[in-house]
Amino acid sequence: MARVKLQITRRAFMKSALAGGGGLAMAGLGAGAGLAAPPARIIDGEPGWFYRGEIKRTYNYCDMCPWRCGVIVESVNGQVYKIDGNPADPKSRGMLCARGQGGVSFMYDPDRLQAPMVRTGERGEGKFQEVTWTEALDQAAEKIQAIADEYGPESIAIFGHTSGDFWLTDYFAQAFGTPNAAKPSASLCTSPREEASTLTFGLPVGGHEPVDWDYLKCLTLIGSHIGEDSRNTLMQDYTNAWARGAKVIVVDPRMSTVASKADYWLPIKPGTDTALLLAWMNVIINENRYDAEYVAEWTEGFEALKAHVQAFTPEWAAGITELPAELIAETARVMADNAPQAVIMPGRHTTWYGNDTQRMRAEYLINSLLGAYGRQGGFYFNKSPYIESYPHPPFLVKGTSGGCSAGPSEDVANAPLPAGPTGKHRADGVREDFLRGATAMQELIDPMISGEPYPIKGLIVYGVNLLNSIPDTERTKEALKKLDFVLVIDVLPQEHVAWADIVLPEATYLERYDELWTVAHKTPYIAMREPAVEPLYDTKPAWWMARELGLRLDMDKYFKWQDIEEYLNTRLMSVGSSLDKMREQNGVIIQKGKPYFEDYGNKSPFHTKSKKIELFAHELELAGLGGLPVYEEIEQPPDGYMRLLYGRHPVHTFAKTQNTPVLHALYPENEVWINEDLAAAQGFKDGDMVWLENQDGARSGPVRVKATQRIRKDAVYLVHGFGQNAPGLSRANGKGASDTKLETRYALDPISGGAGMRVNFVHLVKEA
Amino acid sequence: MTDYAFLLDLGRCIGCEACVAACKTGNELPTDLQFIQISEKSTGTFPDVTSLVLNHRCFHCTNAACVEVCPTGALYKEDGLTRLNREACSGCSYCVDACPFGVPQIYDGFSSKCDGCAEVVKAGGTPWCVKTCPNHALMYDTRENILAAAQNRLEALKGRYPDARIYGETEAGGLGMIVVMPDKPEAFDLPENPEPAFVIKAWQDLVQPVSAALTGLSIVVTGALAIIARRNHMQELARFEEDLAQREVAEATAGDSSQETTAEKEEV
Repeated sequence: MARVKLQITRRAFMKSALAGGGGLAMAGLGAGAGLAAPPARIIDGEPGWFYRGEIKRTYNYCDMCPWRCGVIVESVNGQVYKIDGNPADPKSRGMLCARGQGGVSFMYDPDRLQAPMVRTGERGEGKFQEVTWTEALDQAAEKIQAIADEYGPESIAIFGHTSGDFWLTDYFAQAFGTPNAAKPSASLCTSPREEASTLTFGLPVGGHEPVDWDYLKCLTLIGSHIGEDSRNTLMQDYTNAWARGAKVIVVDPRMSTVASKADYWLPIKPGTDTALLLAWMNVIINENRYDAEYVAEWTEGFEALKAHVQAFTPEWAAGITELPAELIAETARVMADNAPQAVIMPGRHTTWYGNDTQRMRAEYLINSLLGAYGRQGGFYFNKSPYIESYPHPPFLVKGTSGGCSAGPSEDVANAPLPAGPTGKHRADGVREDFLRGATAMQELIDPMISGEPYPIKGLIVYGVNLLNSIPDTERTKEALKKLDFVLVIDVLPQEHVAWADIVLPEATYLERYDELWTVAHKTPYIAMREPAVEPLYDTKPAWWMARELGLRLDMDKYFKWQDIEEYLNTRLMSVGSSLDKMREQNGVIIQKGKPYFEDYGNKSPFHTKSKKIELFAHELELAGLGGLPVYEEIEQPPDGYMRLLYGRHPVHTFAKTQNTPVLHALYPENEVWINEDLAAAQGFKDGDMVWLENQDGARSGPVRVKATQRIRKDAVYLVHGFGQNAPGLSRANGKGASDTKLETRYALDPISGGAGMRVNFVHLVKEA
Repeated sequence: MTDYAFLLDLGRCIGCEACVAACKTGNELPTDLQFIQISEKSTGTFPDVTSLVLNHRCFHCTNAACVEVCPTGALYKEDGLTRLNREACSGCSYCVDACPFGVPQIYDGFSSKCDGCAEVVKAGGTPWCVKTCPNHALMYDTRENILAAAQNRLEALKGRYPDARIYGETEAGGLGMIVVMPDKPEAFDLPENPEPAFVIKAWQDLVQPVSAALTGLSIVVTGALAIIARRNHMQELARFEEDLAQREVAEATAGDSSQETTAEKEEV
């Protein structure tokens, strides 16, 4: 049947080609002339998409993960077919990961939200009625205004994630006057590494870990699983370094793919990393393997550190980490032998056990002892590209979400916190429950329930999968019930969408212009996003929604621009460019960086008070949090339970891509990794379907058992983002188990406000 | 004619599946079909574990069993690679049984497998999987260049893996997928000597000649039967006409002749 139809299709095509409509555009593939007839496409015999008409190429930066590689989007006759890396882009360099390749499928997911909706049932029921944009925006603005009038704009919280979040969590929030804007990429992910970096160097890590890969000789990863965490540039750089013969040391309770190829795998007992790091320092210092000259010139507090680590011998650490003392000493020597081209990569998700900033500081101290910062083959200093903002009046509150990069450390403890128009600062307990850093999203949930320190009454959620990212989901649901108003902006009917009062459907990154992507990098650069096609359905971009809401809330002066192209061209003018010029220049503007010490002349690249690397953190000492990192024992799983660890699969991002048809097909459900011998002892085997139950009785599943020798007996492992309970996601709904739903508790990092989520314990149960 | 080939470097491959997704989207494959399979294979006991990434796909054999068994010519060799014209496929699935690597699959009734992105390459492009691979584990070039590149990759790999080797230089008459592997082929579930499955041998040595003979015989038999049938048919027609004439005669001459006619007919 199918074949008959397809033959007709092909014949029809040939006919139209012969009739003069066959402008077969193969130029993009670099084709010469002279192909009489296209060969048949393999599956249905129809010619490939690149023969069906002129190929339109648009520049974009990928939104399938927060890495945001520069891409070229190819479409024909108004249909997007293919996305590949932009060869001129410093991140993608012409290549792309599976998720990036799945972008087309994400856009054409038939489950997408298609029109604005207002709630007709109870919150959480998911009953809605479609309305016009005008109705939806009028109603939303009215509710937001009412809350602001009664409680102040600070009582509106804004959570945002993915690349359009700038318009809500940064631009709108600051113009509207709420300091309670937060991103999950901070306190649920990178806050510890950022705060540790700021405390030690006065510099944030920024998005892209500034490892100087091309000259690297020794790489140490602690929990980072490059390859499963498929950030494109990292995979490229890592594999090149590995193939060149750089030594690779991987510390992970689970044999990740990268551990399987490493020169050393250290299957550490979970939660004991700081003990290992202290022992490494002990070896490096006591065996005089540190860079004495560098330490003298660029660091402060070495003597204190030296005295501090004396007790932390490899033998001491061996008893804690369950790693052989000789292996600990040997790996320390391997690092030192390759210094300064030796780095411990900070990684990205670092909110593990609640003492995470100190662990990250310990990593940085080793890197500093090895003299890696500012040296070729160690860490370069990244630099943000120069470009002006669109001119606007002063914001009502400055620096709301903080995002991934909190500011430098000068007098942070004493600096006044930014406050909104009615004088209230962040409600997340900063300075009381934790010291510093970006707004902690999970700490804004309690104020929604308790009304302390002041009530949060309204919530705008942009692209954050609330119930599959913030731990303690029952608490989040309680908060959602209590709020006066919940506005959700998303592309897909994610689980939390059912809790919205108003739902605004967003156009995907392939269907919209967006803010410029300005990247702190070895070569600072600016990337652009332009639509490949018109938005599908009745969807709109976030910039448009933020502006329309702003105009309804008397914020006209912040939205002087009439359309996004004017906004972008005005900004680009400050660097002598424009959208058109960018298109002529492969969609990116690349500037010169200042990667090494020699680029700073007599100035210090470090922005700490001392202008040096602060091995001893005075700010932490003053706050009673310890100027030097110590190992703290954490709670161990009770008998019969294992620690719940989680991570990534290369074809999925967060809880965002599980429903994307192409990516779902490659990894439709997660598995629970459990040590094979332990599983057998408990009566489970590979492939069994089980439920996971945690220490508080929370359950998630059913999920397939992956019985393997690649993991310790005291931990199990899940790929994050599965086990979603969202009936509107026809593929992802109910598939696998959710780590988030088994994280009924978390450990708050007293320094960064990060939510340590690896403090939950589970066991396997046979029946639901 | 220049032979082309792929390079697959299993040292570099990290199992990220970018190639799988690029192949699926670029070739507009149905959601439930993929031409590349990534998996892991672990041996040993914690913590002394070896885990390998397997990257399974068409190996584009020079002496391609699938091509040899294909009765319709749907599978054929071109530029050193194994192409598939699915419109010519009859869905017999001989290729599925014959392939020493278990590559072709029957999808929607017909054979399907990687064709080396024939269409893309002919338009001057690079196969989708190669274009996107972030780990530089894949290359596409003339077979000669690929073999040279493989040699370089091998030297680099031997520092870590003394047993590293190149697979595909001569196997199955030489593969169009030259694999640089850190271990022996069997570690990656690949045959040391990719022999065509038993069925292809049977096909070549026995079934094909016998069936050719049988086909010839069947034509003869069918032809003969047809001739006989036609002769019978013509005879019957003649008799019917004769019969009709007799009946008319009988009716015309009146009398009780029906019994007689019937008897006469039965006799014939």
